Amino acid sequence: MIRNAIGRRTLGALALLACGMTAAQAVAATHRTTAGGTPLVGTFKLTAGKCGASGATGSYFRMIYPGGTLASGKFFQNPDSSCSDKSFTPVLPGAAGGLRTGAYQSSATAAFDAKGNAKVNKIIAPTGFSAIKFGLATLAKDPKTGQAAPVPSISVANGKLSGQVEALWAEWNHLYLNQGSPKPGGGKPGLTKAVSGTYNSTTHAFTLTWASAISGGPFNGFTGYWHLAGTFTPR
Amino acid sequence: MSEAPARRGPGPSRLALIALIGLGLIAAPFAFQMITRAPKGATMISDFRPYMTAQRLDGFQRDLRQMDAGVRQSRTSVAVFLAGPPSGTAHARFDARFPEFAGFESQWRGIDADMSGMLDTIQGNLGNYRAVAALPSFTLFPWFFLVPGVIILGLLAGVVIEPAWWGAFRWALVALGAGLIAAPAVFQMFDRAPKGERMVSAFKTIETRKHVETIQGYFGEMALGQGAVRLEIIPALERSGLTRAQIAARFPAVDALDRQWVPILNDMTPMIGTMSDNVVNYDAVASLPPFGLFPWFFVIPGVLVAGLALVSGPRPHVAGSTATPVSPNADGVRTEGAP
Repeated sequence: MIRNAIGRRTLGALALLACGMTAAQAVAATHRTTAGGTPLVGTFKLTAGKCGASGATGSYFRMIYPGGTLASGKFFQNPDSSCSDKSFTPVLPGAAGGLRTGAYQSSATAAFDAKGNAKVNKIIAPTGFSAIKFGLATLAKDPKTGQAAPVPSISVANGKLSGQVEALWAEWNHLYLNQGSPKPGGGKPGLTKAVSGTYNSTTHAFTLTWASAISGGPFNGFTGYWHLAGTFTPR
Repeated sequence: MSEAPARRGPGPSRLALIALIGLGLIAAPFAFQMITRAPKGATMISDFRPYMTAQRLDGFQRDLRQMDAGVRQSRTSVAVFLAGPPSGTAHARFDARFPEFAGFESQWRGIDADMSGMLDTIQGNLGNYRAVAALPSFTLFPWFFLVPGVIILGLLAGVVIEPAWWGAFRWALVALGAGLIAAPAVFQMFDRAPKGERMVSAFKTIETRKHVETIQGYFGEMALGQGAVRLEIIPALERSGLTRAQIAARFPAVDALDRQWVPILNDMTPMIGTMSDNVVNYDAVASLPPFGLFPWFFVIPGVLVAGLALVSGPRPHVAGSTATPVSPNADGVRTEGAP
């Protein structure tokens, strides 16, 4: 009897420990932020990307081939880019105006149309990439593994931005490609580069950049480089 | 009464030999890292399944033929239409006007040859793939060694504890040996495993990280080339006065390339993803011993175990003159210390 009671207590303690660990992991995933700085909670509203004489300004995206570097590529040439340098793909703000911090911006209920065009239109407007449109969403869980990711969080300290967009996913051709930094789970493999940028507290103008190496799937080893610019609007 | 024979049933050396075979069976999955590699093989077989059909592979070949026809027609009749009769200067004008297409076209022949060759190899191994896929799941293979190994050692341990059990355990060992001998035949391993070996060998140059990255590069080139057709050449034809219907009638391959590009992307992208995701799994499978040997990994221990059990006779061993004699009693049951 005593042995049974001890056994039950042990089991109970183990169950509590397991629950406690799960809860702690969930809390950690929800609140993973960079240390220090003042959190900017709201929407980083995007200025539309524009093609320039060399490259692009405003908000744009580039993709680097496996084995390349952020500085010199080799860059994927997107035929749908309106720029003369097709390694730059300018993006336009979506219906929400841009990237929200402190909240997820989910996929469309049906994420893709029959051709594989992404339907999500919140952060950016669906943008052509080799004849198929991609979109961006921030998802609470990895669509493949179910692993939890924290809501995007960005902080400012002395005019410098830092933070994480771990939950950011590009949707294209019936595929989900994580474009977060750090990657789900907190790692920074390959050319993955932390979120950084600048912020003017008077005008609320910002720039944000990061790079995210793709692991698995048809773009395994490629890296997405993101440059977002615009104006921050607090919630 | 009669004296107990000096040697009956398996002697220590035979027991040790059978135990060694059992240990070998247990050690094999660890020695060959089957515990980690075999499940990767199972994943690869499973991941390849949607693509390893004649219909799907024919579809990929059709995609390539469509691309090829579109590229050739752009380079020939479309170039003539937009830049004038074939000549060095006309081609130069066309290339200068559509540099992205020209760049792609110069690489297309190599891309097409490599991709078609890869698909030919895959198609040529469709039967081999099916043979491997028809085997029991790779995940089970380590257990096919571990379980008999553990049973053999268990039976031997029983005999050591109680020699009188030998009579029954001997037949269990014979049955187990027969099972090991029969397993490759039951699973048609003699036919299927060598086919698997041929497939693994054929994919040696295909399922590598370097080759997958080459294919990824082709995708980039093809996207750019098709983009040039879709966004530059066809609009140029339209600007020259042709309607979309006239373009389709006059340059059907170019029109098809434009219309079919998205389905081609829908079709090929997941295949590239599967190839990429399975490089590690392929490496694991290729690191296993040659598949052709696997049937013998069952047959040889099976023959040895069954053979040793059979030749060891029906009665338990009595170790020399110091052993307690064992004689049958009136009921035929052997009792220790019988006179």
